[in-house]
Amino acid sequence: MQLRQVLIMTALATGTSLMTAPRIDAAAGVDTQAFECLMQLFSDSDHVGVRSAITDYTVTLAEGSTLNLHWNNERVSVPAIAAAPGTQEAIDAITTASRPIAGNAYQDFTKLRNEFQGEMTRGSARFSYYNSQETDYVGQQIAAGYNRDFSDAQLNLSVGSSFGWDAIDPVADDDTFGGSATKTTLHANAVATRVISPTLLVRMGAELNLVSGLQHNPYRNVYAGGSRLPENHPDHRVRRDLFLKVNQYLLNRSSLKFNYRFYNDDWGITSHEIGTRLSQVITRAVFAGYEYRYYTQGEAYFYRDEYPTVNGIDGYMSGDYRMADLASHLFGFTFDVDLREWATETPVLGRTELRFNIERYFNSNNYSANILTTRAIYHF
Amino acid sequence: MTARFRSRGRRLMAAAALLAPLLLETGCAMRSVRAYEREHLANRIMTFEADAREAARRTKALDAREGSTGGNGGAGGGCACN
Repeated sequence: MQLRQVLIMTALATGTSLMTAPRIDAAAGVDTQAFECLMQLFSDSDHVGVRSAITDYTVTLAEGSTLNLHWNNERVSVPAIAAAPGTQEAIDAITTASRPIAGNAYQDFTKLRNEFQGEMTRGSARFSYYNSQETDYVGQQIAAGYNRDFSDAQLNLSVGSSFGWDAIDPVADDDTFGGSATKTTLHANAVATRVISPTLLVRMGAELNLVSGLQHNPYRNVYAGGSRLPENHPDHRVRRDLFLKVNQYLLNRSSLKFNYRFYNDDWGITSHEIGTRLSQVITRAVFAGYEYRYYTQGEAYFYRDEYPTVNGIDGYMSGDYRMADLASHLFGFTFDVDLREWATETPVLGRTELRFNIERYFNSNNYSANILTTRAIYHF
Repeated sequence: MTARFRSRGRRLMAAAALLAPLLLETGCAMRSVRAYEREHLANRIMTFEADAREAARRTKALDAREGSTGGNGGAGGGCACN
């Protein structure tokens, strides 16, 4: 069923890019353009489904400027409560649901999210504006970055910053008492990339996020001291991380990538992430990639499996497993076909790239997910 | 709690301070890699930029399933997956 959906989406993605081609190609005063359609299907063991239809249009303007326009239309489906009405199982499921329970909890809850982003790159500088719209959540962000080469382009240093402001307006819910709220995120990063040898690249970076405002799920309740109370997380969070990435080119036209990330925050969560990816050029037009990622984290200081009193821990209480001890694994496989190498004389195929990606994710919370992605890129 | 966070922060900074010079070192020990020697580095299976969009999408998806974030030098808003 999922495979059939992916094939249909791929056909749609390719078709859309081809139909749009003549109109965009007619634009004057541009050097190069690329139009990308991506379809991603996410389904997990809780039967939550997310369908993302992503479109990217990139155009190189005069004087070395590039404009990228991005649109993501996402449909999220959270399943109905599965237990029989009136049973303790159903009451527990409704109480702790991370979805609004208005009227009938035994029906699927579906919502749409539209995400727009415009990014302008000019020389070494880039600026972007991001907007995400949902029924109950509006997120906006402005970002800027600058990078510069040093030492005969052996070293590149980049800095970036962004400010995001979100408006949260929970929809009617019989089960919680969420009012309107806001959240702001101030982000800063510094990244250094170094050429070590003709076959070795290293990147290292540090990031800081200062988050203020509502940071829990407004629809979720927690059992505390025998009562069910709305989830409550602290309003402020300082999050920071360091990461290291190493790319080594190997014989036989392949590469091995390694990455490590260390993260900690003032809620007490410390995490480590290790990932590796082997990429192989099979022919000039075909690439394959194999990937593994391991992740582990400690719990937030206010997280408990059970709260004995209604005060929680310092007044905070959480039903969010992301605040708990956690370990996860991710396996991925990617297959790229660059039709430009095969069909150079064909007007349409000779300008198209295709990518297929499948990922399997599972964690220690008995949670698993499959992510299928198909991507078509048309180069003008 | 705050003291623990600060202590971890100090260790984090110390690690960064130790690693940064290794990366930023531009002098004698490491010879300069010239433009004509960068064929492999420019290959799509080697560049960091080729994976950047994919990495950002994955970070957003994992943000909704894990307690940490980051690793790409960027941030994004919205919470559909919550």
